[in-house]
Amino acid sequence: MLWYKSWLDTRWRFLIGFAVLLVLACGVIVNYSVSASLLPGLANQPVDTSTAAGRLLAEMIQLEQTYRGFVWGQWWRQNLLQDATLFAVLLGSGSAISGSKGGLFTLSMPASRADWLTTRAATGLGEFFILAMVPSLAIPLLSPLVGQHYSVIDVLAHGLCIFVAAAVFYSLAFLLSTIFSDIWRPLLIAIAVACVVGYLEVIFQLNGVFKVMAARRYFESGSLPWLGLTSSAAVSVALLYGASLNVERKDF
Amino acid sequence: MTEFAIETSDLRKTYSDGGEALRGLTLQVPAGSIFGFLGKNGAGKTTTIKVLLGMTHPTGGDARVFGLRATEQRASVEIRRRVGFVSEEKDLYDSMSVQDIIRFTAGFYPTWRADLETRYLRSFDLPAARKVKKLSHGMRTKLALLLALSRGAKLLVLDEPLAGLDPAVNEDVLQALVRHVADEGATVFFSSHQLADIDQIADHVAVVDRGRTIVSGSLDDIRDRYRRLQIVFDGDAPALPFRTAGVIRTRRDGRVLTVFTSGGADAIAAEARSANAVSVDVQPLTLKEIFLESVNASQHAEN
Amino acid sequence: MILRPNPALGVPIYLQLMEQVKHAVETGALRAGEQLPGMRPLAEELVINPNTVAKAYRELEHEGVIELRHGAGAFVSATAAKGKKVSDKVRLAQPIVSGAVEKLRAKGLTDEEIRRLFEAELAGLTKAGAQHD
Repeated sequence: MLWYKSWLDTRWRFLIGFAVLLVLACGVIVNYSVSASLLPGLANQPVDTSTAAGRLLAEMIQLEQTYRGFVWGQWWRQNLLQDATLFAVLLGSGSAISGSKGGLFTLSMPASRADWLTTRAATGLGEFFILAMVPSLAIPLLSPLVGQHYSVIDVLAHGLCIFVAAAVFYSLAFLLSTIFSDIWRPLLIAIAVACVVGYLEVIFQLNGVFKVMAARRYFESGSLPWLGLTSSAAVSVALLYGASLNVERKDF
Repeated sequence: MTEFAIETSDLRKTYSDGGEALRGLTLQVPAGSIFGFLGKNGAGKTTTIKVLLGMTHPTGGDARVFGLRATEQRASVEIRRRVGFVSEEKDLYDSMSVQDIIRFTAGFYPTWRADLETRYLRSFDLPAARKVKKLSHGMRTKLALLLALSRGAKLLVLDEPLAGLDPAVNEDVLQALVRHVADEGATVFFSSHQLADIDQIADHVAVVDRGRTIVSGSLDDIRDRYRRLQIVFDGDAPALPFRTAGVIRTRRDGRVLTVFTSGGADAIAAEARSANAVSVDVQPLTLKEIFLESVNASQHAEN
Repeated sequence: MILRPNPALGVPIYLQLMEQVKHAVETGALRAGEQLPGMRPLAEELVINPNTVAKAYRELEHEGVIELRHGAGAFVSATAAKGKKVSDKVRLAQPIVSGAVEKLRAKGLTDEEIRRLFEAELAGLTKAGAQHD
């Protein structure tokens, strides 16, 4: 029954997220089919590499010469990274038991708060796992349509990195929802934190959570960023533990 | 000795902002009784109920339901397995239909009573397919009650169950409660402002004011003890310091001395006559008067 | 025979029930050996506390008005329903009451005052001031 309730509470966010990500994944294929013919031409264009922007542009053009590079640059490093973070926060917000809208009814059931919390977190993370892994499978599935091949292993490896790293933001939103009783503040604060972290990582070239999400090391050398994955997981666990402490001592 | 369905001892709850909701509340609810819990708004009724159900953590004192400690996590889950609760707001899952929420709740209770569910679904006339948020206040109350009763609960804890109900629904609810007590041997613990309903079905009451119990016991016993004495003197009524314990309030008005007492009316009358009273008239007090006088006295004692 | 206690009267419900049963026996609405309604169904029908009904029945049994036969229910006892005996007592008491009422009216008391005096006396409360005589 706990699982069922958790599903009921999150199913729309999950299903909409799945649909959106699926469409966006297909969008990568469409994008490629549109720009594929232009890319070789761009490679021959002279780019001013003395500025940082120029270097970035040059790197992108170089990257997108290969299909694998194109997908990494467009999807894993950009679109999915941003959208997965957004859906992680969405799934995590409004997780905790509130004092109204059924909260007292929930609390009057013969189940401990720990049970409710674990079930809810597991359901949310399970759904997020699916969001991180499954819609992206459209890419290997549809690549033959544009005459390309994309490895499923790459999807699984990148998906895993996205899942573990973005789970940090899920857990943050989850923790915030045990502090604030409405759905908006956890959502907005977590998104704000994500934006700030993102900017800091870029500006100061930090090895942060978004770096783990993008998994450049895997793209370039095929080895997963284990240190980044374990530390992200540890942060998530700590945040969820904090959420459980909050819930235990709360008065409703 | 009767087993107590609910027992609290010196229960305290102070919030982080310093607000003291409970300041040593002691309560004993005999098993099999219908217990009315009275008090002004903010006196601590809802807080007490939430402590019993493990929704609020007390800062001191002891609270037990069927002998199980309400503050102990595992015991608290067991308590909720045996208790049917209806919150003041009739809190339910608005987006579910009547049928859905019944099935959902039934899933938590292996001892769910399908016979009770069928009976109340019919007698309460609840539309199975309608969403909870579309139910009228009376129907919502009845649904919440159905969910509490159908789990075969040995104890019903109800926070203002009769608030806002029209007389017909009011009687339906009272009847369901009486029936549950008669058939299942259950205990009912409910807070209410409706003194007429307390008079009708309760056999025990407690009045709580500012986080403490100020009156408690069997209703018959309370009605036996509480008295108003109207004492008339020849000249101005003297300020008699009554030595009998239990005097709640004394009012002097010219030649008349009015005494409200929670016991020992005979002794007070004797004291009055030995002070040369011309006439002593002893009258019973209604539950409303007992409530108002006790609460008034408690507030004056504080100030 | 209708039992209908009124919670608003301020008189304990169990006492009202007892009175109404005794009155029914006196007037012959309930006869010797006849069965009273079961405690639980009665409580449910009147929407009053089952413990209250139980208390009323117990007291009636204690006073010999009814018998509680285990498993079978509550029945009017043979002795209580000796209609003649009860009505005799009541008939003999009648002149005492009318005599007292006449006397009090002669002293200038209103019917209301007389009623209150009787009620206070019967409820076992303190007697009114003895100065008037």
